[in-house]
Amino acid sequence: MPNTITENNLRLLIDALVAEGTRVVGPKQADAMTLYEPLSSGAELVLGALPRRSAKEAFFPLCEDILSYEKKEGKMTVEDIDLSRLPDTVLMGALPCDAAAPGILDAVFSWDYNDEFFLTRRKRTTIIGMACTKGDDACFCTAVGYSPAESRGSDLFLIPLEGGKLRCQVITDKGNLLLEKHKPLFSDEEGGTALPLAKPEMEKLDLAKIRGWLEKNFESDFWKEIAQRCVGCGACAFICPACHCFDISDEGSEGKGKRRKHWDACGFGKFTNHASGHNPRDVQPQRYRNRIMHKFKYYDDKFGQTLCTGCGRCVRACPVGIDIASIVEEINNKG
Amino acid sequence: MTGSDSSMIPFMAEIVASTPLSADTSLFRLRLDQGIADYLPGQFFQLSVPAGGEFPVSPASAADGGGELEFCVRRVGQVTSHLHSLGPGGRVGLRGPFGNGFPVAEMAGAQILLLAGGLGIAPLRSLLHYILREPERYASVTLMYGAREPAAMLFRDELVALARQERFRLLLTVDFVRDEPVDGRVCTVGLLPALLRGVKVEPAATWAAICGPPPLYACLVAELASLGFADERIFISLERRMKCGVGHCCHCALGQLLCCSDGPVFRYSAIKGITGAI
Repeated sequence: MPNTITENNLRLLIDALVAEGTRVVGPKQADAMTLYEPLSSGAELVLGALPRRSAKEAFFPLCEDILSYEKKEGKMTVEDIDLSRLPDTVLMGALPCDAAAPGILDAVFSWDYNDEFFLTRRKRTTIIGMACTKGDDACFCTAVGYSPAESRGSDLFLIPLEGGKLRCQVITDKGNLLLEKHKPLFSDEEGGTALPLAKPEMEKLDLAKIRGWLEKNFESDFWKEIAQRCVGCGACAFICPACHCFDISDEGSEGKGKRRKHWDACGFGKFTNHASGHNPRDVQPQRYRNRIMHKFKYYDDKFGQTLCTGCGRCVRACPVGIDIASIVEEINNKG
Repeated sequence: MTGSDSSMIPFMAEIVASTPLSADTSLFRLRLDQGIADYLPGQFFQLSVPAGGEFPVSPASAADGGGELEFCVRRVGQVTSHLHSLGPGGRVGLRGPFGNGFPVAEMAGAQILLLAGGLGIAPLRSLLHYILREPERYASVTLMYGAREPAAMLFRDELVALARQERFRLLLTVDFVRDEPVDGRVCTVGLLPALLRGVKVEPAATWAAICGPPPLYACLVAELASLGFADERIFISLERRMKCGVGHCCHCALGQLLCCSDGPVFRYSAIKGITGAI
């Protein structure tokens, strides 16, 4: 049975969720840009936008405390973080490239050691994805196996229709649970024709062929050609839905403080630097190579998935115009 | 970090002794507040100083069933400087042990060749202590240790004393000596690879273990290869900037491998193809 929801009811759904204490994160106008941020009401939801940053912050915040320490009566005590306080969350209106990414990251955050911060947020979050009508010329989801209509990673998936309604597909039990709970907001009408979706121009790349070329070309002048101009600003990593490297640092005094986990970027010059001065990746092309290798080879070799959903954000953000889509396309053509 | 184990929550320890070994390097003996320090030679811990942060470091001691362990630390960066400012009674945190350590079961029965350069003596001292606890389990142990200059040679008296044992052969060398006389020093002058060239070994019956500054690895591996060592019989303990210790944060990636979880001890054959690994 089809389920449709009007745009107004979608906003009412957000209001209802917020009223019951659920954290709702969705595209919201934040000054000049749209960002995935906690919504205080349905009216704040911005439909049909390309949020500047990805939605990974809903699962993996830019910075979070992982423990605290305090010296009491001469004795140091270490306090764990109480994860039971993490809220039930709905990620509303995630673009297919953003909805797919957390599922890719499940692999690394549970392969050897369970990162309960990430995994608890995953468990408590329902993702309502939305077909993409907004793509721009930086988008390349189609090149890496996704599409504007891709529902992978979503629990419920919305397809915008002519006339302002949205068709809602149930993808998982978790999604079904949410839909059933708020059933009166949905109707079983067909609702009309789907709006035209974004049309990224790139055709699907042969990711196995790309892996093959990367395997053979760790040493190649290609890396210098494409990345000599990389300034190592890290914007690409911070804005990426799938980049997940982080640093750990202590903040506070000898008597009291916190240990925090915060995003890092393999493009930073000091990412691998040792206190001794030895730096295993001491020039920028080596760092950029690591970025490409990790996304298109290492992660796939280890976990069977590409660490890129083709959202195009790094292409939009790069201050020196490095275009990862054309780089992997070039590798595809070389391979 | 609430996890499937306690790898992210440090356990507290107290400095019971700090012994200067050279101008910038000291041996810190720590006692855990609770429990037994259980680890293999070559594994590492994240050692933290309140308000300083963490650094990855392999113990210089071998686990002995007690609650104490030793770390040999050079004062070189922020956290290590902080640690050096603490004396006995100072409080530190530890997470770990992480990584694989040396394959001690596989090494039993064979001749062991330990090659240490500079501060690389620390994890190899752990392995040496481990081996010398039951020396009859090994055919022989040779330690070749090179330091920059006599004053930078760590554990010299201890090693010389240990070398009175029949199964333990010790060869010390320094890169250079200054003008002052080196009276009574039991060592030669020259680089470690050159010293290795003159030593008799049976490559097929020997496991080699290397730890030292980055430039040393390639030279020693080349020497070992010319002596007839198979790549599989050479173990290298690598240094990387491990942060999380559990294979998530990506700081210690060596190509496809992670130093924190696939290492830090690697068989040379496993990293030979990774440019920049050594």
